Amino acid sequence: MLLANNLSFKRGRKEIFQEMSISLPPKKIIHLKGRNGIGKTTFIKVLVNMLFPTTGEIYWNGKNIKKNLYEFFANLTYIMDIQTSKSELTVNENIRFWMKLFSSNIKSKQLEGIFDLLSLDKYKNTQVNFLSKGEIRKLELFRLVIEQKKLWILDEPYVGLDESTYELINGTFRNHIENNGMIFFSSHHRPELQNMDTINLENYANN
Amino acid sequence: MIKIFINPGEFSRFADIIFKPLLIVSILALFFGLIFALYLSPDDYQQGSTVRIMYVHVPSAWLAILTFFIMTIYSIVALAFKIPFGFIVNSAVAPIGATFTFICLFTGSLWGKPMWGTWWVWDARLTSVAVLFIIYLIIIFFRRSFSNIDVGEKITAIFIIVSSINLPIIKFSVDWWNTLHQPASISKFSSPSIDSSFMMPLITMTISFTCVGLLIAIIRIKGEILDRKDKI
Amino acid sequence: MQTINSILAIFYKECKIAFRIFYDVLTIILFFLLGIFIFVFSVGPNKEIFSQIGVGIIWALLLLSTNLSIKRFYQDDYNDGNIFLLHMSGLSFELIVLIKLIALWFFFQLPFIIVIPIACLILGIGTEDIYLILITFFLGSPVLTSLASISGSMNLLNNKNFAVGSVIIMVLSIPLIIFSTGIINAPPELIKPQLGILGGILLFFLALTPWVSAGCIKIALKYN
Repeated sequence: MLLANNLSFKRGRKEIFQEMSISLPPKKIIHLKGRNGIGKTTFIKVLVNMLFPTTGEIYWNGKNIKKNLYEFFANLTYIMDIQTSKSELTVNENIRFWMKLFSSNIKSKQLEGIFDLLSLDKYKNTQVNFLSKGEIRKLELFRLVIEQKKLWILDEPYVGLDESTYELINGTFRNHIENNGMIFFSSHHRPELQNMDTINLENYANN
Repeated sequence: MIKIFINPGEFSRFADIIFKPLLIVSILALFFGLIFALYLSPDDYQQGSTVRIMYVHVPSAWLAILTFFIMTIYSIVALAFKIPFGFIVNSAVAPIGATFTFICLFTGSLWGKPMWGTWWVWDARLTSVAVLFIIYLIIIFFRRSFSNIDVGEKITAIFIIVSSINLPIIKFSVDWWNTLHQPASISKFSSPSIDSSFMMPLITMTISFTCVGLLIAIIRIKGEILDRKDKI
Repeated sequence: MQTINSILAIFYKECKIAFRIFYDVLTIILFFLLGIFIFVFSVGPNKEIFSQIGVGIIWALLLLSTNLSIKRFYQDDYNDGNIFLLHMSGLSFELIVLIKLIALWFFFQLPFIIVIPIACLILGIGTEDIYLILITFFLGSPVLTSLASISGSMNLLNNKNFAVGSVIIMVLSIPLIIFSTGIINAPPELIKPQLGILGGILLFFLALTPWVSAGCIKIALKYN
């Protein structure tokens, strides 16, 4: 259960958002929308404790995440809006690295299946800087499966994905909330998912 | 009491109170100091009249180090206790320190020409003071190389703290390397290696330099405070 | 256990990346060698002079070569969010800095162990002095890596003034340079204390760097 109370954030003297509260119980999705430059990415960064809110607190399972940061991180997968895979490494090496980094106990058979689904299997030994934008994005979403965490926070997950992957992601989301997961994502699309609330950041922005 | 040193408003009020007395003290000290230094003090039996350069050289060296020390303390305070007044002081005081370091180098070089026969020697103390000057310059412009001024101030404060490791080197360089520069004259308070006839003008000049430095610092800090109020 | 796994994974990744871009390391070594040749050309082929100032040349060039590896430290990891990713896997920033320090020392300083004896031979430095230089190199090169780390983390958000990183390294390296080059000309009974001071500088910087770099990284993340 993720709870945020009265979050506001100032950058310099500019108020990005004010008095924003969200609560995200298990089996639920929150969709954050808002026009370009309104501060969706900033809000997500505040939510994962990369930026610190000017006022307000964030609680994970009733505990303030500032004091229990690593406990919160142990339950969080955060997909950024940028490419976190290393361009010098191959696809497979990147995935091995994430598996070791997050001590994932995912089976290699499972991995093969996902490679097939995302149609990345022929690029396994290709360096990431030879991949296309969409393929890099798909590789990024691989972390959702590798880390196997409860709470997913995604920044623009649908950017650059083709139709079939779009559906695949939605399927993964459905699957995840059936397993007591929680999802928070920002997007300009509005996918058809059950248990989904939409928050418009423009209502909280100060302009 | 402590608020005077960390709160901009309290500081401004306190500065207004002490500004006039400080001005009077510094004028008096400068007046008497110059009279002592230029007319009343005797020539050195070795160095002759050039010894009078010392009355500018030593106080500015002392202030150059003192300014850095103050900046280090304010950096630590500003970063550790999140007191933005420290950043104000840092950005106001750094040019003063740079100026005094420059005066120190310049007068030292003037003094060196008749004494050592050269404007500049690669002596440990001279080089480390020159490095101090460079550090001051870095501090002054490092802040401006960030597009976000807040980041610039914080990073500069960290840089000040880290580079303060050079202070002991400047202090002890004369003891560690036995080179041309004479050991510090008034470091040992118990038995100064300097005659009282030289001591008197030196102390007066040091007082006057410190007061003048304080006055400039107060003016600059107040200007900086107003500057920031404008921006908010 | 998970922490150790993560640390090993990061090491492995750094190794892989360093091998992929080994020409970068190679170029830095070439820079070092070429610097010595430039010195020979500019000072003239007098062996006497070189045996006297050789140590200074070697250390100055080591310092300059370190400047070339600043960007390798955190800039890439910062720009692509990897630093925060590592942080999310449960490592504190201080630990990440420490891991980076060890990994980058391994790739950007250790290769000089082969080049320095060659440089000493070219410059005509005596055999006993080569041992001493290697010992000071072992004590001093982690300090250089620490300085590169400090300077690299300070300049994460610096997008206007690229040279200032190198200047910071040079300013902070002065104590190190004084003691590491002073050893060669020191009388024999002073060698041990000087090595002790060098060791002290090393410990001081090893203790200081994680805090300073982590602080700078936190500031940079907060304002990006």
